[in-house]
Amino acid sequence: MNNNDKFVKLLGGITLSGVDFKSEVIAAGGEGITACYQCGTCSGGCPTVSAMDYTPRQIIRMVNLGMRDRVLSSRTIWLCASCYQCQVRCPREVKITEVMAALKSIAMKEGYNSNIANPRAVSFYRNFNEIVANLGRQFEPLLLLKATLGSREGIASKLGYLLKNAPFGITLMKKGKLPFKPVKIARGDEVKKIFENVAKMEAGE
Amino acid sequence: MSYAYYPGCSLEATAREYDLSFRSVFTALGLEFEELEDWSCCGASAAHATSKLLSLALPARDLARAEAQGKEVVAPCPACYQNLKQTREYVLESEENRAKLNKALEGTGLEVKGEVKVRHPLDVLVNDLGIEALAEKVAEPLEGLRVVPYYGCYITRPPGKESFDDVENPTSMDKIIQALGATVLPFTRKTRCCGGPVMVSNEAAMHKLSYEIIKEAKEAGAQAIIVACPLCHMSLDAKQPEIEKHYGEELGIPVLYITQLIGLALGLEPYAELGLDKNIVSTEKIVQKYSKKMVKAKAE
Repeated sequence: MNNNDKFVKLLGGITLSGVDFKSEVIAAGGEGITACYQCGTCSGGCPTVSAMDYTPRQIIRMVNLGMRDRVLSSRTIWLCASCYQCQVRCPREVKITEVMAALKSIAMKEGYNSNIANPRAVSFYRNFNEIVANLGRQFEPLLLLKATLGSREGIASKLGYLLKNAPFGITLMKKGKLPFKPVKIARGDEVKKIFENVAKMEAGE
Repeated sequence: MSYAYYPGCSLEATAREYDLSFRSVFTALGLEFEELEDWSCCGASAAHATSKLLSLALPARDLARAEAQGKEVVAPCPACYQNLKQTREYVLESEENRAKLNKALEGTGLEVKGEVKVRHPLDVLVNDLGIEALAEKVAEPLEGLRVVPYYGCYITRPPGKESFDDVENPTSMDKIIQALGATVLPFTRKTRCCGGPVMVSNEAAMHKLSYEIIKEAKEAGAQAIIVACPLCHMSLDAKQPEIEKHYGEELGIPVLYITQLIGLALGLEPYAELGLDKNIVSTEKIVQKYSKKMVKAKAE
């Protein structure tokens, strides 16, 4: 926990900007979160709940209670597969999948995810965006390499993961399903511009 | 009417056989399309996890391009389909939303208006072509072939105003499979997530979910699992040997794209036109039995 978090904790979940955590999550796309009445339908249908430290129902409650640091350092948010099962079944129309995405985006901006259970999640998303910003399209072999090398794991663990996946890569290559060269789109500057605009718009908000 | 075809990044790489079979089948069925010129990535799950605005702004570029041509978009990858569809919904929701996305497009010379619909091939096949018209084109009925349709998440979730199938029990693929002469077996995990999105970050979670899907298909007596998503295909087909190793159990169920199955029934060439040699779990038994083109080639 850094000093900022300690301070936020002292204030009972109120952030320095004066916005409480649930409003912050709503602003980042997590609509409807205050309507939750804790029925647990979301947790009941969640495909990855067994690997989570807090169930989706608990996370929603914790956000509403302003338990910022615990939510953002949870394993749960990185295990959400964005399958939307919870969201379509929620009787209160809480946009639970969007809540999880909002939590991921806040955690990514603030450098969370030191969690050893999902060392490659943040690195995967960051490198995905970076490759798209540079090429205009995704290039899967490079993504796997960069996501692994940029993760929070130790070097032995990184190499171990790459070695373990090498035969899989070779299988795909033999089938002609792993391109050697990335496709660079003609007007890639437009995609770069979009990334820049979004960053500016978000900084201005 | 011609569609603007949006392949998406996977269809250029790990899902090459989906691209190939989509093109062959749509052409054979007389459904006109042209690849959307200079399309860019929809942002997939990464943009969604990074920023809501980014996840809408990236597909907005592609939508704006399709709108300039006045063509409806057809996107076989359900993640691309959802991202593009949700962007259109967002733009149509309010003037404010539209202005916001156009601000994100500033300097690109593009403008998004939400004017063209975003369609999945299943939607086009069932609602534009029609099941009866499809059945009439069947040259080699897949009689005796028992399969389960696996839809995964993004074909139906989250639902929107222009959704084309039921969110808990979709049937569009069921209808198509039956029109081809094959048998659809009851399957409870039609829309249960395969774990694909956490494949890189949490392998074990993905293995478990995909194992349960394959196992149920096997126990139901299915000879193949039929999918319409490149990520589902990666989890169930390309990762199947890994899952077998992890659980110490032989599974060996071929996983075919719906377009590959349709192509077989239309009598298309199984490898050159449908890429059935690109699936990781061998599709040979099915090809041998149902492709007359193959049987002929062997005899010659």
